[in-house]
Amino acid sequence: MTADTPSPPRSAALARLRDTLAGLTTRAPGGAASAPIPVFADTSLIGAGLARGALHEVCAASPGSGVAFAAILLARCGGQVLWIATEQESNLVWPPGLLPFGLAPDKLILARAARWPEALWAMEEALRCPALGAAVLMAGSGQGLDLTATRRLHLAAEAGGVFGLLLRPEGAAGASAARTRWHIAPLASADAPRWRLSLLRQRGGAPAGPWQVAFNAATNTLHLEAGGG
Amino acid sequence: MKGRRYLAVHLPFWAAEHLRQARPDLPADQPLALWARQGARRLLAALDHHAAAAGLEPGQALADAEALLPELQVLPAQPEASAAGLRDLALWAQRFTPISAALPPDGLLLDITGCDHLFGGEAPLLASLISALAKTGLSAQGAIASAAASAMALARVRRDAPIIQPGAEEKAVAPLPLGPALRLPGAMLEDLARLGLRVIGDVLRQPRAPLARRFGAPLLDALDAATGRRAPPITPIAAPPDLAVTRALPEPILTAEAIAALLDRLLAALCARLSRAGLGARRLCLTAWRVDGTEQRLMIGTGAPNRDPAHLARLFAEPLTSLAPELGFERFTLHALATDPMGAEGQGALPMGAAPRPDGVLAQLLDRLGQRLRLARPAPLPSHWPERQWRAAAPHEAPSPTPPGWGARAAPVLLRRRPEAVQVTAFAEGAPAALRWRGRHYALTRAEGPLRLEAEWWHGGALPPARDYHRVQLASGERLWLCHADGRWVVQGDLP
Repeated sequence: MTADTPSPPRSAALARLRDTLAGLTTRAPGGAASAPIPVFADTSLIGAGLARGALHEVCAASPGSGVAFAAILLARCGGQVLWIATEQESNLVWPPGLLPFGLAPDKLILARAARWPEALWAMEEALRCPALGAAVLMAGSGQGLDLTATRRLHLAAEAGGVFGLLLRPEGAAGASAARTRWHIAPLASADAPRWRLSLLRQRGGAPAGPWQVAFNAATNTLHLEAGGG
Repeated sequence: MKGRRYLAVHLPFWAAEHLRQARPDLPADQPLALWARQGARRLLAALDHHAAAAGLEPGQALADAEALLPELQVLPAQPEASAAGLRDLALWAQRFTPISAALPPDGLLLDITGCDHLFGGEAPLLASLISALAKTGLSAQGAIASAAASAMALARVRRDAPIIQPGAEEKAVAPLPLGPALRLPGAMLEDLARLGLRVIGDVLRQPRAPLARRFGAPLLDALDAATGRRAPPITPIAAPPDLAVTRALPEPILTAEAIAALLDRLLAALCARLSRAGLGARRLCLTAWRVDGTEQRLMIGTGAPNRDPAHLARLFAEPLTSLAPELGFERFTLHALATDPMGAEGQGALPMGAAPRPDGVLAQLLDRLGQRLRLARPAPLPSHWPERQWRAAAPHEAPSPTPPGWGARAAPVLLRRRPEAVQVTAFAEGAPAALRWRGRHYALTRAEGPLRLEAEWWHGGALPPARDYHRVQLASGERLWLCHADGRWVVQGDLP
């Protein structure tokens, strides 16, 4: 849709319009509650963080790394988090393991759907509900999630102002309407987990990374390791 | 009392059959007896039909009965549970009439005045009641008469479901034996038998004054009630009237729109009553009666007390699609099965010191999701044993505080629903160095452990074996949580 590059004065006007629109469409009244979710300092992200009221994707090379990264992002959005998985999922999200990443059990509501369409329905309902901070859906490799479905979820997230996250296994993702798509893979580590993180795509911006990051639980920050990238 | 009609049900094996309903593990084809302690003796208190057919009798010593019938299963009687069950049964019987009563220990009484035409007459009503009871495994004998005690006396003795026309009660009860029909005290029965009086008719033919002098008022009262000369009031079990609304329709309805519109009216009426009572609904049941006499029930639940008709209608939207109207529904009842106090401003009443529940919008979302998904809020538990570190609490419960130190142990972020078998093919200094997992070979770049966990002995019972946990990393960087217990290695979870 953004095929032609606008000339400089037009792009300035467009930027102003975008700001106005962003102010109009942001549901949450508070300043901090509507601020984008920071990931780490230098991510070349449009808007200096992940937009709320939008759908984002995390593709994980190992299940553990994806869940941990999701937990970090979800903890940062404040508010209650709905974590949706299907009964067919062979793994259970384990709240004691999420606490070190900042996601406390009192913020977490776990939902288990008997079938995949119900999980999608629940995700959409949750994203439309402004009382929720974030909703995450764990998608297995065999579960259909095409452009139409992701666009539906993204529109729902826009309507509710909820941070939406899709957690997918590596290689499963096709076309998607998500705002950003991340890839995370584990790296050899001594104690604290280390990951290779890359931004595979972002709407309106260029892919970025990879970065080598480690999580510091004491300061609750992801920090970039020297020599990464 | 003229013009009223009563249906009495006698459940000859109620206590035993009620217990059998709760215990499907008991073999159905073996005799069952319940015993109660009387002083130091254990006597039979109740039997099922197998035991009765084998000649056992209530009041017999338990040891004698077991000697007579070695295959007899015996259980202690639970009089409270069986009385509560009978009350529930009386409530259930309200599907036939609004006025029903439990007559402990083993009877039900229904005032069916004006209700029989809904079922096509008294005989079909009685038959459908008995067959509905039989479907749940209860033997029942019923009778209909114009006096409650006559119907009860007939139900206790006659198995042919008699229906007595008004005025014919005295003739009908005359041949009934005094003992089973009137439940008179044993000593009085013996005295009457000594006088040659064994059936009701015998006593009725005696002059009243000497009878009253000899046996006192209880006998005459029982007789008068049974013959319908005097009718003591019955004490109906009634659901609190403000918790149910009913609409009977002149024309059956069958379209989804009409049903939804009717549900809106029922919800509005119910919510107005809830509001007056200061209550909010927690569980609602919509019963739809079809023209062919069958019924369909839809249940919804809310996490927090609620009386917003629009919200409740949304919760019913999904279940409503499962109604099968066929030829149409002619009657709807909306029951509030469970309610909680609820203040005027919509905030549920909280016990002192309780944390606030999720606010309105979130509670409504959870209600909607909860109709189709299983929701849980993790509540931390103070335990080191992995499976006991949290429990699934109701999502509407206030979040429980996290105990200090909880989750600090290097825990997995995902736990296998079923541990996955793995072979450790090489060891280095006692720690695993290579794995065979999912049919492939992996060298481990790192292994930490073991961390030994002992089962919590204070829970008692058979203890699971101690577990050794290892945190290992594959060459790909993927980190697994291995468990070694009882000589077996399994992958129990994924580490970040």
